[in-house]
Amino acid sequence: MCLWAGLAVPGNSMPGIAQASSKRGAKTVGRVHIFRGDAPDEPWKFSKEAFSYEKSGTTTICSICPNHCVLSPGDRSICRSKVNIDGKLYSLAYGNPCAVHVDPVEKKPLFHFLPKSRAFSLAATGCNFRCLNCQNWEISQVRPKDVRAYELFPKQAVEHAQRSGAESIAYTYSEPITFLEYTLETAQTAGKKGIKNLLISNGYINREPLLKLCKAVDAANINLKSFDDKIYRKLNGGTLKPVLETLKTLAEQNVHLEITTLVVPDYVDDPAMIRSMCKWIAKNLGVNHPLHFLRFFPHYKLDRLPPTPVPVLENMRTIAMEEGIRYVYIGNVPGHEANHTWCHSCGELLIERHGYEISVPGLSNGKCSACNAEIPGIWNRDEA
Amino acid sequence: MKKTPETGIIQLVVATGIASVACQLLIIREFLSGFEGNEFVIALIMFSWLVLGGTGTWAAHVAEQRFSPSGLSRLALLSMILAALAPLTLLAARTARDFAFVHGSAAGFYTTFAYIFCIVAPYCLLLGFLLPYSLFCARHLDPQFSGTRVYIADNIGDVCGGAVFSFILVFVATPLQSMLIVNSLLVASALFLLSGSELLRAKILIPAAVAFTVLIAAPGVEKISLHQHPGNLVHYEESRYGRIEIFEDHGQHTLFLDGRPVFSDRNVTMAEELGHYPLSQVKNVEEVLLISAEGGMIREIEKYSPERIDYVEIDPGVTRAVFEYKMLKKIPEINVIHADARLYLSRTANSYDAVIMNLPEPETFQINRFYTKEFFRLVRARLSGGGIFCFHSGAVGNYISEIQRKKISILYQTASEYFPEILMLPGRRLYFLCADRPLNPDIPALLSEKKISTSYVHGYYYGNITSERISDLKSALYNNTDPNTDFSPGMVAVMFSQWFAKFQTTPALFLGLLALGLLVYLIRTTGEEFVLLTTGAMTMGGELLVIFAFQIFFGYIYFQIGLIVTVFLAGLLPGALIGERLKNMGRRIFLLTDGVLVVSMGLFIAALYFAGSLMPESAFLLVGGIISVACGMQFPVALHLGGAGNPAAVRAFSADLIGAAAGTLVISVILMPYTGLFWSAAALIAMKTISLGFVSLRYE
Repeated sequence: MCLWAGLAVPGNSMPGIAQASSKRGAKTVGRVHIFRGDAPDEPWKFSKEAFSYEKSGTTTICSICPNHCVLSPGDRSICRSKVNIDGKLYSLAYGNPCAVHVDPVEKKPLFHFLPKSRAFSLAATGCNFRCLNCQNWEISQVRPKDVRAYELFPKQAVEHAQRSGAESIAYTYSEPITFLEYTLETAQTAGKKGIKNLLISNGYINREPLLKLCKAVDAANINLKSFDDKIYRKLNGGTLKPVLETLKTLAEQNVHLEITTLVVPDYVDDPAMIRSMCKWIAKNLGVNHPLHFLRFFPHYKLDRLPPTPVPVLENMRTIAMEEGIRYVYIGNVPGHEANHTWCHSCGELLIERHGYEISVPGLSNGKCSACNAEIPGIWNRDEA
Repeated sequence: MKKTPETGIIQLVVATGIASVACQLLIIREFLSGFEGNEFVIALIMFSWLVLGGTGTWAAHVAEQRFSPSGLSRLALLSMILAALAPLTLLAARTARDFAFVHGSAAGFYTTFAYIFCIVAPYCLLLGFLLPYSLFCARHLDPQFSGTRVYIADNIGDVCGGAVFSFILVFVATPLQSMLIVNSLLVASALFLLSGSELLRAKILIPAAVAFTVLIAAPGVEKISLHQHPGNLVHYEESRYGRIEIFEDHGQHTLFLDGRPVFSDRNVTMAEELGHYPLSQVKNVEEVLLISAEGGMIREIEKYSPERIDYVEIDPGVTRAVFEYKMLKKIPEINVIHADARLYLSRTANSYDAVIMNLPEPETFQINRFYTKEFFRLVRARLSGGGIFCFHSGAVGNYISEIQRKKISILYQTASEYFPEILMLPGRRLYFLCADRPLNPDIPALLSEKKISTSYVHGYYYGNITSERISDLKSALYNNTDPNTDFSPGMVAVMFSQWFAKFQTTPALFLGLLALGLLVYLIRTTGEEFVLLTTGAMTMGGELLVIFAFQIFFGYIYFQIGLIVTVFLAGLLPGALIGERLKNMGRRIFLLTDGVLVVSMGLFIAALYFAGSLMPESAFLLVGGIISVACGMQFPVALHLGGAGNPAAVRAFSADLIGAAAGTLVISVILMPYTGLFWSAAALIAMKTISLGFVSLRYE
């Protein structure tokens, strides 16, 4: 059955959609597919009608991410969190996070956002990508009912965050876009209590839901996995263009934005590609968004590649700085000088990081103590 | 021996046996370098090999009935094609992977199976075809030619091929050089078959030249075909234990063992975690034992000024390479020991302040021996007062999955049998620190007391290893798990589950179809085939059990394991000769040999249970020999009882192969991991007892 073939779906101009119709009517990118007949018979305690979808008869089209899952009753979305039950689209990941921890904000990584603060970090299951090197595949590639979960509805989650002493709530580990209803409502509740909200995401989201999210989120770290659509499809089961659109939207909406790129050997280590990426960032987002190059280690299904050589990361950093990006960091390399923040103007040491041991010797009122240059970011009250 | 066409055929069968077994071993090693090295993959290779071989055998039967009479020139031509296919199959196994899978990624069960099956299909089908086809050729010349002669010749070839590869070629030649050597013999035998005959003309000489060209050219592309990672391949070695490669990229050296990156010289995090988590707990670090190591680790251990570091590594090739490329610092205190670590621990009188084990997770029975109750007891006995033992399992992320819970629970339960205090620390791996005294989780504080500086631990520890994460781990433990033991390797089953979970699949469909196919085959099978089928399963299953038990007590000793495999192959030969002489006794031989198989396996298991480590090494060889001789005796009898015609011979060959395939698969991936050694043996005994009962009734 192919009810939706040829139907004008909002966002159809996105590359993910253009190449995404299958014989069965499912939207697919590479190995990504919906799950036919995998939905429960009825909603459960942790269900919430989906935030954004369209209907035609009993068929639903999720409009949260560029996958645009077209679901008949009984079907489950690519991200495994959304199901069509009797013609309504539900999220099954609402109030049931399976991972809850309090982490240093630098771990997200966010280096220009309230240094030394703690982030109450939570994740429900699901992801709209299929990254071969996923660090959290045991929660991102399963259904909500497959895990042991906490019962933390938005109000309770915010109370827990307050009790933990965290200054922010991070929606992280798996993919918060797949539990957007939960993310959005918790963020709105937290915002009212003065708690900041952090989106740690692959950025694979449509513009309309993102605009709503931007109103509730204070900072985001978006994983720009490469600058090549083919690599996106191959390693991640997604497409590049929607992620770039997300980055532009976040920058436009003045959400504090940092970008992370995992430098996977043989895939994301081409200097020419990295230079194009940095040019694009500088041109479209500006030069003030911190960029993190992370060292790859073999993991999950991508376990037959070597770790990224440190000089390759250093070369990436040099390229990024040559293209004008002011704050470029190297991650997963303990003790490297590119873990620290250096003033873009005078080169003075602003923030010294030894892992999560942070000192802020050169920053005062959000400015470099030496040259008074304004340092982009959201800083602690004593530094801001 | 006067040269007749028949002797030429027998020589060709021997050469085919030599080449095919050596090629099989080489191709298995190649697949183990390209895919997971677990028992499932090994079983899939053996299964594909045997099933395709059986199909080729069946195809020979069909071809013989439908096409023109078998001819020597065709036999020679097919043998040359087989010889040329061998290196091409190996190269395809090595290089086609990146076309079939995402470069650098692991493969799941079904995709691995499909890949292996497709790659080996041409070679195995032709190989399976050639054995009965040789017999048909011989019978075309002499209708009374005995099938047993071909069976014996094949066994001679198999034994020689296994021995030549395991004891000579693996030490002196690369895979494609080995292919050249063993397959040149095959091409030469094919030419010899036709020598002096008018059949030896251009249309045979040209294929021979092509086959030789392929064989000679192949070693020339050995290194290029191995170059699958960024940087330069600066070290390549095929040791008896597997493939060792070191790639250098931008000054970073990465050691790959069997195609997987094991460690690099710049992995500060792992080196510090492995070194400091255990050693920071020890008051005076004097004697340290490393069971395998991590790049940069010696530099960290050196900070404690130990008097001696014993570094045990089974493969001398690995230590040579890592020291040559300075992936480990060579200091005067380090004492390298090339041995199976378990064997070393059982024999040494040394005691240690710390034993640090850096081995892969127990995906195979061989590695599982280092995660059992018996091994932990051994380690405990070698620790000095206040000493510490550190091992690790895979990383635990932000969520502890059900499989992780089972894994952690089994390891914790197993270790807690001998260590009253166990501290679990989640880092790049999940570390288990085991001791008989309370342990302090505040590693940075301990390091500060000792005035030891680090790049990773001091800065990252408190952010990554919170008390909440440690207590989450403890609360995730199941209380009622059985410990992992030598004879009941439950951890292997959990590791299988983890592999399947990663690829979101189960082997149920495969195993279900296999069971159905076997059932259909059993319904259609004759009495003699049933006996051969169960004997094939008993022989392969028995071989796996004997090797498994041997490793438990004596460690992984390359030559002894090779000897056991050789004995299992070699016993078939005298068995077949005796069987040929006594074949007229028919049913009584079946009864006798089935009885011997049941009794010998029963006695072996009883001896293991009651005598265990007191059993001499020779006992394992004796059991192998008895099983093998009994198996060999049955083949001529089956041919005799089933009628000496070609169809009967084909069915007999097929039954043997299918039984061997089923035995390999069922024992290694179902019975051993899920029920343990004793129940596996009991299943084999039960199967053969049914066969025995069947023989008693069927031939009454």
